[in-house]
Amino acid sequence: MKRPDVQWITVTSSSLSLPEAGTRDGSLIHCSAPYSRQQQPAMLVSCWCLYLGAQRLYRHVLSMASVVQKLITPLFSGTLEPPRNKVTVVGVGQVGMACAVSVLLRDLADELALVDVVEDKLKGEMMDLQHGSLFLKTPKIVSGKDYSVTANSRVVVVTAGVRQQEGESRLNLVQRNVNIFKHIIPQIVRYSPNCILIVVSNPVDVLTYVTWKLSGLPKHRVIGSGTNLDSARFRYLMAERMGIHPSSFNGWILGEHGDSSVPVWSGANVAGVSLQKLNPDIGKDTDKENWKETHKKVVDSAYEVIRLKGYTNWAIGLSVADLTESLMKNLNRVHPVSTMVKGMYGIGDEVYLSLPCVLNSAGVGSVVNMTLTGDEISQLKKSADMLWHIQKDLKDL
Amino acid sequence: MSSTKEKLIAHVSKEEPAGPTNKVTVVGVGMVGMAAAVSILLKDLTDELALVDVMEDKLKGEVMDLQHGSLFLKTHKIVADKDYSVTANSKVVVVTAGARQQEGESRLNLVQRNVNIFKFIIPNIIKYSPNCILLVVSNPVDILTYVAWKLSGLPRNRVIGSGTNLDSARFRHLMGEKLGIHPSSCHAWVIGEHGDSSVPVWSGVNVAGVSLQGLNPDMGTDNDKEDWKSVHKMVVDSAYEVIKLKGYTSWAIGMSVADLCESILKNLRKCHPVSTLVKGMHGVNEEVFLSVPCILGNTGLTDVVHMTLKPDEEKQLVKSAETLWGVQKELTL
Repeated sequence: MKRPDVQWITVTSSSLSLPEAGTRDGSLIHCSAPYSRQQQPAMLVSCWCLYLGAQRLYRHVLSMASVVQKLITPLFSGTLEPPRNKVTVVGVGQVGMACAVSVLLRDLADELALVDVVEDKLKGEMMDLQHGSLFLKTPKIVSGKDYSVTANSRVVVVTAGVRQQEGESRLNLVQRNVNIFKHIIPQIVRYSPNCILIVVSNPVDVLTYVTWKLSGLPKHRVIGSGTNLDSARFRYLMAERMGIHPSSFNGWILGEHGDSSVPVWSGANVAGVSLQKLNPDIGKDTDKENWKETHKKVVDSAYEVIRLKGYTNWAIGLSVADLTESLMKNLNRVHPVSTMVKGMYGIGDEVYLSLPCVLNSAGVGSVVNMTLTGDEISQLKKSADMLWHIQKDLKDL
Repeated sequence: MSSTKEKLIAHVSKEEPAGPTNKVTVVGVGMVGMAAAVSILLKDLTDELALVDVMEDKLKGEVMDLQHGSLFLKTHKIVADKDYSVTANSKVVVVTAGARQQEGESRLNLVQRNVNIFKFIIPNIIKYSPNCILLVVSNPVDILTYVAWKLSGLPRNRVIGSGTNLDSARFRHLMGEKLGIHPSSCHAWVIGEHGDSSVPVWSGVNVAGVSLQGLNPDMGTDNDKEDWKSVHKMVVDSAYEVIKLKGYTSWAIGMSVADLCESILKNLRKCHPVSTLVKGMHGVNEEVFLSVPCILGNTGLTDVVHMTLKPDEEKQLVKSAETLWGVQKELTL
């Protein structure tokens, strides 16, 4: 019970704005037992001295505390959660960086990891991306020669390897790139055993098979970028001839990514209207409008761009980001990507070829059974045979 | 015999399709130009993109590569040519052309090389897009923005230098790392010359309006235990470091250019630290361009925010202005 002749002076730590240090019980600094009126001046003086002392302590503590500590009161100091939407890009060449930038600018990841063997270039690329972080929504961009930076990735994009020289066919690159993959793939899987691998390096169909073998992952989690890019180029060129946007022109190129890709003319349509029904000669040599030329331009595209600027990167980067989006967001969209086709269309060998695949967060959820003509099926089989012919001679898989 | 197209599609409109409403041209298809082009495309800022350069093969290759990605983009027309007629009717023209800094070379050394290139480029741009807004990126950006302004005859609101937009972004990134906060919530302004003598305005550094200098009065001085001054030094050194590691910088500047283009094309009236004519401000008497916070909209740079600077900060600006004028007055334009 409070006595009316007593003055209680309570000084709370909050009124002094003291941080955690300094007060014992953290709440009140009492002046102790009540004093009689006669002793009040002495009590006041001692409380005043106490107040001054506390103020000095406060200033001293403040000068010790950093700006961070003064600015921010942490509410949660447990361990940080691992990233939920991490993407790794292996290889920071032109293709790898185009993939990385496309993924960043599409806001697909909450963490991006870059890996390469050339350390200076790797660090420079990471720093350049980090300097743009104000404009991005990917708060963590890391890199390293060591694959530990890639841990807990959901999607790993493999672009490492040597690139096609001018005039060199994709198949010539094979053995050079297989040896690189023997080093890369086991490390990726070690740190991200639940990831989905997207293989971009050429020859993509063979290297996707190699990746599948080296990784030990189930086949639906290893995807080759395949004819996703060929189909994009096809749709662009066809749409240009029609005067419409590529996304409104539906056309599929399947099979091997490269010289022997198969344009499925029966599937080419706008608003569901089949072009082949309007022009039964479409895609044949007898076609007066020479639509076959468009497919040839698709095949020649890569060589043409390489001839002009030394490499291709923007289109493949955008197409990889498109695949990544379907995987990360569990969209169940259909993309023409390279998948294990043994058992389909009479193919008996373990080869990867592009077919329309439904992509979701598990990888290749399912494959669409396209109705192909006899001629188209035989082209697929021919590609399969050629690929197997190369694959069977590869060592140490 | 009608073609497949005629059987499929019936043309019903008597009107010709309207020209581009938001066209952007990028001059120079080097690393910076292409990074800017891709950032602009991926942000869906424009309905037509034009690329210009003198190297015809490289130019054609780059435009083909971008066109092949059309399926994934919302910019229907991507064109390129050596001839500036492809740039006609642009709303914004981003100039990245010019020689790049070599390892260890300062930006001021590049000047005369780039002035000569501009004497060809700028009049051609104006010829085909007399109402455009010029965004100069090539280094040394403050001097070249002045050069572009003089050569173009455009009013000062239509000639903008990318300036310290990138320096500020780098500072905010480093500040964010130090505080554990996203850069967009860390506010800081680096103004003045883009480069070695940029000025970090410590009094303005804040999070949620809380001035960091208020919490740490030594901030920015040599007595500062937390050495915030080194954050600014890292910003200045960044470009040299990235150039040393990978040969050039591209992604960050590309994204910062797209950020500026967005404000201009969408008439956002956002405030950015960009290079503008600062004669008469902060004690500067020369006709020079330095970065200060500016409001950007579809008529370009319409307003300047007047910062309350400390005397030594103003002194730095005046000193930069004098250095720049010293170089500018020797130029033959």
